[in-house]
Amino acid sequence: MKLDFIHDIQRAYRKVVDSMSRPGLITNLKDEAAKVDLEAGCFPSTLVLAAMLLDTEVTFKVVSEKEEETTRWINQLTYAKADAAERADFVFVLYDKAEDELGQILRRVKTGSLIDPHDSATIIVEADAVTDGCDFKLTGSGIEEANYVNVSVNGNWMEVRQQQNAEFPMGVDLIFVDKNHHLLCLPRTTQILSEGRKL
Amino acid sequence: MQIHYNFAFFDEGSKREIRRATLKAIAIPGYQVPFASREMPIARGWGTGGLQLTLSLIGKDDVLKVIDQGSDESVNAVNIKKLVMKTAGIKTTEETQEATIIQSRHRIPEIPLTEGQILVLQVPLPEPLRDYEPSEYNTKRLHAEKEYSGAWLMLFEQIMKYGHMASDFDHPVMVENRYVMAPSPIPRFDNPKMHYSKALILLGAGREKKIYAVPPYTKVVSLAFDDYPFEVESFEDKHCRLCGATGVYLDELFNEETGETYYQCNDTSYCLSRLNEQSESRGVQHG
Ligand SMILES: [Zn+2]
Repeated sequence: MKLDFIHDIQRAYRKVVDSMSRPGLITNLKDEAAKVDLEAGCFPSTLVLAAMLLDTEVTFKVVSEKEEETTRWINQLTYAKADAAERADFVFVLYDKAEDELGQILRRVKTGSLIDPHDSATIIVEADAVTDGCDFKLTGSGIEEANYVNVSVNGNWMEVRQQQNAEFPMGVDLIFVDKNHHLLCLPRTTQILSEGRKL
Repeated sequence: MQIHYNFAFFDEGSKREIRRATLKAIAIPGYQVPFASREMPIARGWGTGGLQLTLSLIGKDDVLKVIDQGSDESVNAVNIKKLVMKTAGIKTTEETQEATIIQSRHRIPEIPLTEGQILVLQVPLPEPLRDYEPSEYNTKRLHAEKEYSGAWLMLFEQIMKYGHMASDFDHPVMVENRYVMAPSPIPRFDNPKMHYSKALILLGAGREKKIYAVPPYTKVVSLAFDDYPFEVESFEDKHCRLCGATGVYLDELFNEETGETYYQCNDTSYCLSRLNEQSESRGVQHG
């Protein structure tokens, strides 16, 4: 793999830090993703995130028709072990997911406790496109007034996310990547307003 | 596939652990995320928490500034810079505006931080409730229940005793109306700089193995009572003896020979850049 596990991962990490601390800020992992020469059944940027965040200290779950294949690759790459969605620290919801699979999986993942809110799942979602746009109005910590984005993922995941994040500090943090390696984060602090409905 | 270890003085596994904790800290502003810390081969008290954060963030494109109690030239600051430069080949600077990462102990620079910057603060004691609750088990529960009457009681007792809130440094803040947080031993003067900061602020406690964060544009309010409002140190009628600055945090100095008290910018690089500007504009006038 041409991907440099020190310098490329560091650069990619800083983009995740930027996007996580400024929800709505879309960064791009294309330089790092271009160096991934592994066909693992997921986006190359998803593998960059796996290499960045996973090791033997954490567990993961892949949601995909090719769950087995991608699970094996991520395990070989990071030595992290797969676990059930209810216990996994990182949940990868891949591009081939079913129509409403993100919403379903969000109901099952761990959201931490009031005492240990960090013991919650981080969800990495492969989307068709993540772009600047006006579908979602984002507010909350990290956002000066409001940020506007489009996220092309179907289903009722926004309602489920809202339910799972209702009891802050418990909740789930989402990282979206798209085909063009764009990256968007929706930490639990971000409020989404969609077409006049507050979600 | 080859994985290299021990770049930047810090193995990749340790970096991953810090990075995971950092992302959680950003997602839960003001909450102290525990992390598994490996021993750093430097003496504690050097700010290993801040250093671990810096090493987990820094890359070849970064420009690092290190300040210790307002000074870029203290032994601590110089040693940390040397260490990072030697192991990562990173550029360093004393100019706040040039830096992409600013690691600091006890101060937030006078020059307003920008969106492209990350401020890393070293934290000796991350738990703001520790003074009245020694047990970590209990303080975690108090935070969980947002039970902060003890924090208010501490401030109340200070007022009863001194007639004002006496915490000159590390005055507790409320983050996003949820978590009471120790801002690290910065003077009260710097607390307002955290509120709606343009830069991401990360705080690291090495000994206690905690990372917490104030994301940009986040509400940070210093704890106070309606009839005893929070006040920053006032240097109202005072100015820096060297550069003439007002409205900045000044150190009070005493000249033993003349018996005179005078003031100087605590942020030495700020003072120096003002002095340079002044001599340049004088040069233009005279030239
Ligand atoms: Zn000065």
